[in-house]
Amino acid sequence: MATPIIMPRQGQSVESCILTEWKVNVGDDVAEGDVLAIIETDKASFDLESTAAGKVLALFWEADDDVPVLANVAVIGDESENVDEFRPEGQSSAPVAATPEPATPASPQATAAPVATPAAPVQASGSIQASAGVSPRARRLAHKHGIDAESLPGSGPEGRVIERDVEALISGRPRLSATARARSLSEDLESPGRGSGLAGMVRSQDLKVPGSVEGAEMSSVKGIRKVIAERMIQSLQTTAQLTLHASFELTKSQAYRKERLDAGQSKVSLNDVIAYAIVKSLGEHAELNAHFLGDRIATFEKVHLGVAVDTDRGLLVPVIKDASDLSIEQISSEVKKLAGGCREGTISPDNLSGGSFTLTNLGMLGVETFTPVLNAPEVAILGVGGIVLKPKRTESGEVEYVDTLPLSLTIDHQAVDGAPAARFLQSLVERLENNPGS
Amino acid sequence: MKYDFAVIGAGPAGYVAAKKAAGAGLKTLLVEKKKLGGVCLNEGCVPSKTLLQAAKTYHHAKHGSVFGVTVDGLSFDFPKAHAHKNGVMNKMRDGIAGLMKKYKVDVIEGEAVLQPNRKILINGEEHEADNILICTGSSPAVPPIPGIEQDHVVDSTGILNTESLPKRLIVVGGGVIGCEFACMYASVDVPVTVLEAMPEICPNLDTEISATLRAELEKKGVEFQLGSKVEEIGKTTVTYNDGEGSKQIEGDLVLVATGRRPNVSGLGFEEIGLEFSPHGIKADDRGATNLPGVWAAGDVTGRAWLAHAASRMAEVVVNNITGRTDRMRYDAMPAVVYTSPEVAVVGLTKEEAEERGIKTRSGRMPMAINARYIAENPDEGGLCKVVLEKDTNRLLGVHMVGGACSEMIFGATAMIEAELREEEIEEIVFPHPTTSEIVKDVFMAVR
Repeated sequence: MATPIIMPRQGQSVESCILTEWKVNVGDDVAEGDVLAIIETDKASFDLESTAAGKVLALFWEADDDVPVLANVAVIGDESENVDEFRPEGQSSAPVAATPEPATPASPQATAAPVATPAAPVQASGSIQASAGVSPRARRLAHKHGIDAESLPGSGPEGRVIERDVEALISGRPRLSATARARSLSEDLESPGRGSGLAGMVRSQDLKVPGSVEGAEMSSVKGIRKVIAERMIQSLQTTAQLTLHASFELTKSQAYRKERLDAGQSKVSLNDVIAYAIVKSLGEHAELNAHFLGDRIATFEKVHLGVAVDTDRGLLVPVIKDASDLSIEQISSEVKKLAGGCREGTISPDNLSGGSFTLTNLGMLGVETFTPVLNAPEVAILGVGGIVLKPKRTESGEVEYVDTLPLSLTIDHQAVDGAPAARFLQSLVERLENNPGS
Repeated sequence: MKYDFAVIGAGPAGYVAAKKAAGAGLKTLLVEKKKLGGVCLNEGCVPSKTLLQAAKTYHHAKHGSVFGVTVDGLSFDFPKAHAHKNGVMNKMRDGIAGLMKKYKVDVIEGEAVLQPNRKILINGEEHEADNILICTGSSPAVPPIPGIEQDHVVDSTGILNTESLPKRLIVVGGGVIGCEFACMYASVDVPVTVLEAMPEICPNLDTEISATLRAELEKKGVEFQLGSKVEEIGKTTVTYNDGEGSKQIEGDLVLVATGRRPNVSGLGFEEIGLEFSPHGIKADDRGATNLPGVWAAGDVTGRAWLAHAASRMAEVVVNNITGRTDRMRYDAMPAVVYTSPEVAVVGLTKEEAEERGIKTRSGRMPMAINARYIAENPDEGGLCKVVLEKDTNRLLGVHMVGGACSEMIFGATAMIEAELREEEIEEIVFPHPTTSEIVKDVFMAVR
C-alpha cells in the first residue's frame, strides 16, 4: 500500500522546514528508518526517516524548498501504485526528478529532460506574482539567448516583459561563441558584458554561474546561516548596544573547582561557574533579565539562560529553562546535554528559544575580549574572554601576578542604563572572586 | 624629442606596432639597430623560405619523372638562389620603410638604451615617450660545446649567408630551424645528419606528427641521430654520444640550431628595474611590464617564439594603449615547420588536453586519402589529426603534416578562435578538390 511520508513537526513553534537535501531518488528501495532527506529548521537540521518500506514512488519537493510541516513530501509503496491522491496542493503532476548531481541520475526520465524543466513550482509562481510577468514570445526569445527574462525590466503594461525588452538586451550584448552559447543554455551559465575572445566575443571559459564572484567558491545563504544573518542585523539595527568591560581574578573560582574534585564532587567547568554566578547575580539585578519589546519591557521572574554553542552549521543558542531553580551541578549537566544536542543536530527547536539572558564564551579560542551582539529582544549578553595575567597590589602593598578573566557585558541602552549594568557586573565579579559556586 | 609612443626594435612586433599606433594618431618613434624587419625578414623566416623554395624547385625538377617531366643537365646555382633571397628581402624592407613613411613614423637607426622615466638614449641623444614598447627580439642560443667558435660552425643567421654548398652538413638540434635547413640542403643533394638530444625531433609537436615528418625527411636523405648529445665539434668531425658511447661523423659545415635567447642585455632594462621571467621580460597578457608605460612584445618576452605571435602581441599592446581592451590568447596560435612536406598545427594535442584534465574525442587520417594530395604529392606521406572536447564537441586542435598545409591552418585557427563545435564545422563547405578537405574528412572520422 502506498504510504505518504510527511514533514514532521519539529517543535511547537515550527511551521515549515527547509528540505536541504534528498538522500534517495525516485525508484530507490527503502526500508523503514532509512534516511530519506535532510531537513532543517531555522535552528537545527535533522534526518527525515522513512516510516514505511518499499519503493520511492514520488518526491514532491526539490532540495531547498521550504516545506510546511505535516505536508506530504514523498510516497513509498509498490511500483504500480498511483501517488496523485497524496500530492500536496499546488504541486504539478510531474514528479520532481531527484538530485541535481548528474553522476547519479534518478531514473530514465530524470536524465532525459533535466534541463528544460522550469524551476520548482513554488519558485516560479512566486516570481511571476512579483512582476507583471513575461510574454510567451519574450520568454522564447530570452531562452534562446540564455537570458533570464524574469530579471529584465519590462516596458509592457504594468511592467510586463515583452519581446522588445529582450531584443534590446540582445542587441547590446556581446556575441557568444557557438560553444559558449550551447554551454550557457545547457548549464544555465551567464555571460559577462565582454568576453576574452575575438573582438570581445564571449568564449566558453568566460561563462560563470549566475551571481558568482571570480576566484571565490559560492554558497547560498540558507537555513541556520540565514536566520543568524537576519537576527544579527536586526539586533544591531533595532537596539542601542553598549558594551562594558571588566575582569575578575580567577584564583578562587579555580580553587573552588579543585576543591570540588578533591571532595569527590562532579567536575564543573569554569564556564559552568560563570553561568551559575550569572544566574545568581541576575536574581539581584532583574532589570538585566528582560526583553525589550519597544513599548513594553518584560522582566522575567526566572532566569532562562541561553548559552552560545559553535556548531558545524553555525552559531546555536540552546536555552537552560528555569536556570534559577537549578544547582550548579544541574546547570553543568544541562549545558553539556544541550550543547551536545546542538553539535549532533538532535536538539529540539523548542530548546532553542525562550532565553532571557545569554552567555557567550570565546576564551578557549584565544580571544582576549570582544563585544558580544545582543540576542534581541534580550537586553543583555555576557561575553567571556581568555585568561589574562595581571599585576595585583596585595594588602601589604606588594605587587603579585594573578590570572584574570575578562568579561564583556553588552546591554540594550534602550532598556538598561550604564550604571545598573555596571552594578550587575560588579556583583558578578564580586561573586566569582569571593564566593564562586554559592 | 617627445613622442606618444616609442618602439624599440623593428621586427614583426615593432613595425606592426608602429604602423598601428601611428595610424591611430600617436606620434610614433621606431628604433632599429640593424635593419627594418628584424630577424624575421633579414635572418629568419623570409630568407629561409626563399632558399627552401629554391631547393624545392630543384627537387621537383629532379624528381618529376612520375609526372612525365625529366630534365637533362639539371643544376643548382646556389649564389643565384641567394641573389633572389636578397632581392626579396630588399623588396620587403623597402615596403616597411615605405609604410613607416606613409604613416609618418620617425625611424632612427641606432641602439636604444632605456633610461628611467620612459626616456631613451639613442646615438647619444635623449628621447622621451608616454609609452615604450620593447620588442628587441632574440638571438640564436650558443650552447657550451667545445669547438663551437670555429669558422665552419654557423648559426641560423650564418648559414643564410653561406653561399657555397658543403660536402656534408651536420645539424645540431632537430627543432624547427634544424629541420628546415636539413630539408633544404638534403633537397639539393647535400648529405645531412641531424643530431637531436631528445628521443624525437620537434619535441613540442604531436609525437606522431614529428615521427611522420622525420620519416619524410629520411626519404629525402636526411639522417637522424636521436637521443644524441654533441660532445665536441672538431675541424672536420663532430663527436656525439648516443647513449652507447662517443661516436664521430664527418662534416664540413655545422649548423648549431639549439633554440633562441631573448635580447635583454646592454639595453638598460635591468638598470631601470624591469622584471624578468625565466624566459625573458615579464609581461602580462596585455603586454604590460612591471613599469608603468613600458610594454613588451615578441621573442623578448620568451613567449611563443613566433613572428605572427609577436605581431599579435604588438597589436594587443597598441590596442590597450589606445583605449581598447585586448588580451593575448595563445590557445589558437598556429605554428608551422616549412619543410617539405610542411607541418602546420594549432591548438592542443590530445595529450596536452588530457594533461589539463579535458576529456577528448579525436580522429586521424593519412593525407593519402585525399585526391588532390596524392595527385600532387605521389611519393609523400602525410597525416591530419583533429582533437575535440568531449563534453562540448568544441574544436581544440588540428595537427597536420603534408604538402603546403601551412596555407590552410588559418581555417582551423579561425574555428578554434570562434569556439566552433563539430556541429557547426560539419556544415562548412570545403572546396573540392583541395588538400584542405582532409580536415573535414577527419572530422567525419572523429570518435
